[in-house]
Amino acid sequence: MSDQALSAPWRLPLPHSTGGRVLVAIRLAAVLALVGAAATTPGFFTTVSLFSLLNTMSFIGCVAVGMTFITLSGNIMSFALSVTLSTSGIIFIAALPLGLAGAMIAALAFGAALTGVQGAVIGYFRANPIIVSMAALALITGGATLITQGHGVYPQGNATAPLQGRVFGVPMPLFAFIVTVIAAQIVLSFTRFGRQLYMVGSNWRAALAAGLEPARIVLGAYIAAGLCTALAGILMAGRYSSGDMELGIGYDYHAISAVLVGGTAISGGEGSAIRSLIGAFIIAVCQVLLLLHGFSTQVQYLAIGIIVLVVIMLQTLADEA
Amino acid sequence: MRSLIVNRSVRPYLLLVAIIVALWLLDAGRGRFFTAATAFSVLQEFATIGPIALGLGLSMIIREFDLSVGGMMSFAGCIAVLSGARYPELGVLLAVLFGVLWGLFQGTVMVWLRLGSIGVTLGGLLTLGGLAYVVTGNLSISYPRMDVAMAVNQPVLQLLSPRSIITLAAFLAAAFFMARTRIGRDLYATGSDRRAAMVAGVRTDVILPGVFACSGALAALGGSLLSYSLAAASGAALTDALVPAVAAAIIGGVSLAGGKGTPIGIIGGVLVLGLLSAGLNAIGTPPAVQDVVTGGVLFLVAIADAVDLDPRLFTIRRYWSDMFLRRDLDKSGQAPAE
Amino acid sequence: MDVKVVLQAEPVAGAAKAAAPIAADKMGDSEPKPVAGGAAIVGVRQLCKSFGPIAALKDVSLDIGAGEIRGICGENGAGKSTLVKILTGVYRPDQGAVVVDGVAVSVATPRQAQELGIAIVAQELSLCPDLSVEDNIWLGSLKVPFLHKQPQLRKRAADALALLGASHIALDVPVASLSMGERQLVEIARLLTRDARVLILDEPTATLTDVEIERIFAALLAVKREGRSVLYITHRLAEVYTICDSVSVLRNGELVATRPLNGLDRTALIELMLGRPSGEMYPEEARARGAPALVVDGLSLPGIVDDFTMTARRGEIVCIAGQVGSGAAEIITALAGLVHDASGRVAVNGRQLKLGSPARAARRGIMFVSGDRAAEGVFRRLSVLQNLVATRLREHSLFGFLRGGALRAAASQLAKRVGIDRRRLRARADELSGGNQQKLAFGRCIERQANGVLLMNEPTRGIDVGARAEIYRLMRSFCEEGYALLMASSDLEEIVGVGDVVITLYRGRQVGHYRRGEVTMHRIVADITHPADAAR
Repeated sequence: MSDQALSAPWRLPLPHSTGGRVLVAIRLAAVLALVGAAATTPGFFTTVSLFSLLNTMSFIGCVAVGMTFITLSGNIMSFALSVTLSTSGIIFIAALPLGLAGAMIAALAFGAALTGVQGAVIGYFRANPIIVSMAALALITGGATLITQGHGVYPQGNATAPLQGRVFGVPMPLFAFIVTVIAAQIVLSFTRFGRQLYMVGSNWRAALAAGLEPARIVLGAYIAAGLCTALAGILMAGRYSSGDMELGIGYDYHAISAVLVGGTAISGGEGSAIRSLIGAFIIAVCQVLLLLHGFSTQVQYLAIGIIVLVVIMLQTLADEA
Repeated sequence: MRSLIVNRSVRPYLLLVAIIVALWLLDAGRGRFFTAATAFSVLQEFATIGPIALGLGLSMIIREFDLSVGGMMSFAGCIAVLSGARYPELGVLLAVLFGVLWGLFQGTVMVWLRLGSIGVTLGGLLTLGGLAYVVTGNLSISYPRMDVAMAVNQPVLQLLSPRSIITLAAFLAAAFFMARTRIGRDLYATGSDRRAAMVAGVRTDVILPGVFACSGALAALGGSLLSYSLAAASGAALTDALVPAVAAAIIGGVSLAGGKGTPIGIIGGVLVLGLLSAGLNAIGTPPAVQDVVTGGVLFLVAIADAVDLDPRLFTIRRYWSDMFLRRDLDKSGQAPAE
Repeated sequence: MDVKVVLQAEPVAGAAKAAAPIAADKMGDSEPKPVAGGAAIVGVRQLCKSFGPIAALKDVSLDIGAGEIRGICGENGAGKSTLVKILTGVYRPDQGAVVVDGVAVSVATPRQAQELGIAIVAQELSLCPDLSVEDNIWLGSLKVPFLHKQPQLRKRAADALALLGASHIALDVPVASLSMGERQLVEIARLLTRDARVLILDEPTATLTDVEIERIFAALLAVKREGRSVLYITHRLAEVYTICDSVSVLRNGELVATRPLNGLDRTALIELMLGRPSGEMYPEEARARGAPALVVDGLSLPGIVDDFTMTARRGEIVCIAGQVGSGAAEIITALAGLVHDASGRVAVNGRQLKLGSPARAARRGIMFVSGDRAAEGVFRRLSVLQNLVATRLREHSLFGFLRGGALRAAASQLAKRVGIDRRRLRARADELSGGNQQKLAFGRCIERQANGVLLMNEPTRGIDVGARAEIYRLMRSFCEEGYALLMASSDLEEIVGVGDVVITLYRGRQVGHYRRGEVTMHRIVADITHPADAAR
């Protein structure tokens, strides 16, 4: 018995509310403006500037994908991903005697454990996610500083060389970022865990009443965030051939900016890894454009801040239904 | 006695006493700790963290959260340093004025666009941080008036300074306001149950911008005075004030669920943190330990304040008692008397 | 029940006479102008209000005179709450106006309603749990000065509580520590201190004892004597006949009639409310009774329910009737696993069920459909399709990966089964009407092995009359397939119409157990408000 409704001609998936449609129009206009600005800026399409753009984007992007899991679960953001990145990098460098693969596994496990503990407390006790992440930030910063005495960790020889190379002609960080996005998007769109994550982020109480186990799902989301962030930490440590607490500073803000600019809802239940990729890309493009027009990094920072504020204010259009 | 412990605003002071006792024991009579200098530095710390803890605390009392206080502190410091070369009071005034306007802007956006505070104030934090960053050009701007820098930190009665006196005055004004005035009561009502307050006739759509204006003003006040005292405005360093501010507010009895907490309690919270930090410093522990202690305390408080804590503990306790019952059952072969 | 009404009439009148002189003084600074009832002080003209496609009010016009107590009656969904929310500034009408003293006004906020002299005790209490009783009484009142702790205000608050016989409630305790009944009295005390010209009470007596109800009626009569007016919204026809002068009946968003109560008998009133003979909306009773699907023995929730025991058989609809706070809704949520400190023995299809985990309950075949769709039922941002298959992801996945085609087919079947248009499968769930959302919740519960237990809390709350018949049909068809259905409801007509078994609850204890045909709405009200043998 064929189902006519499901085989109906494909129509553009426009939102039903006027607010939603205005939002789509605004986004489209913004993208077009960006493309226009890029086309008219001399030097934008040179290899050098694109190269540097993609490189910066990769590190932030990996953390942003991790942050996406947290935001989707309805827990807004984490302030502790920056230090998770740095400390995972330190663990990676410190564990290099175990071999490249061993060190990577150690760093990934470490990152997952750091965020996993937070996820457990947030999921099982429903503690406030912002406060828990701030507490973790202080704990991890203090602990790491005590252990490393403020010094960086450096590898023997060039054990990290493979991480500085290219794969299929593409720099390793970018390659790893793209693989992460694809893996994350597959999990979000095609697995049971991913679907349940959207449900928990949409309405915790309804998910509980429907018999899912929201605590477990939130824990899973935080572990995923830890893995992505640790990966970024490994890549950064490889790039700079050192493990240092300085490496991750500010990444929480960069990551949440990418997530929000990409269109993921800050209240949870709506969004995707691909959107975070787009968000990271848009931010990187804006940064390069500003740079080529002679604006300093500080102005870039300010511009991103204003963009995030505007994006959040526009969210109200999406919720009109 | 029980009601004293249960009272959220008294708890930080009990904790304060406990810390003093612990530090006295750790000090073991060597006199490193109980000096006027330590007390002075605790109160200076109070003047630094206090205003943003109060502003943040007020926003938490109405069941919102002002993330932008950290950024406001930085940028207001810049405003004060840049415009206060001739008349330092003008610098502070302009900074506070900006704080009020920015707060009104954030609050109004929240009401008109029906947005949550975390998103809007996150955007505010990034924008203000960016503004501070741009204005300082990633260096520190120095403040030419060293005399003001000295005056602001001048010890009064050995313990206080003009900065801590102004901060204390702000707290006392807030305490009076919250406890004795109708608007203070309306703030608690808005945090306790916004819908009920609105239906009863409270102007919740005016309260939101008002509270955020206050938190902006307080952050600006604290930031401008701090910049004077350091004789410099720095772009980045002050965004880390958020963690101690949150910790101070929560230790001080403010609840994330809204409707509870008092300015006097927040004073206690700030003093607890300040004492911990000064005390640990005085007995020679490295500064990173303070981070660990603050983080640990905040973590425990987050769990204590957690929504599902009681049900989970209950389930865990029942699980354990079931296990023991089953063991008894196995041993004796009969069910124990219930 | 009728006998009781007659007996009640006298004590109320007596109390009113005794209370009157005191009441007049206690009403404080309002100037009593004994106006001869008749001059309209507040009214509405051609009021229309819709929520999306649902018209809640259609062209409603009515007037209240000074010194009049008007009852407002109608079924659930007739528009009573909407009317009242427009009068008090919570909603804005699409068309029409509120009229005060003959002048059309716009009541944009609750504060404006207060300025116009309109005050309300709503069904949903508006007390702030962290504030003290005194603060709650004066919360939002225009009379409170900047420094709000004034001795004369405190005295007036105490007097208002005393008038209601509630002097035992301390003024300084946080409202969170009070019982439901005490909170209701605080809310009514707030109403009294507002000195409003029009007092509106929406189902105020649900959690109160007879004595408390009498005192409220005495206070209302005193208010009436001062020339002020009262709008009294209730399901309880006995109360309407006791306290009201006249009644307005709403049906399906329209004003059907306004009549003086003198000369209007109860059947006529019910007929006006329903507009049709009672039987048409509800499907027939269960045809066969099967094996016990759900056996509850000694269920207790500390402080709420004590030793509740019942059996639900396959094919039966069991209704638990009780007021707010009686424990009916809590029993349902406890059986669904949402309450952590529930104790007692529960068996589903013969197997023991440990309470406290919704996931465990779901695995045993218990499905929970909440009355609070927005909070507990629907994933608003997700599509209808995703909502429908929310609980069956495991059976359509392979190594953790979802099988999209299988899920789409399942969703399509479910939608067909419950009557949701399949073209809407990709729409966002919050674009559906309330009735459709409820059907969505049903669709989620269909299992392939039909021996589950369906738990429902207020199944038709907020759903218009048209959609409700469909929901009842769905419920019956589920049962015919072998489900057992246990529901809690405060809609008495629904309980009598749908229930094969009715259990009445008063303050956490079971009062009566009836089969279909043995029970009437009056009997249920009697049980759930003042059972004969309840020790107080």
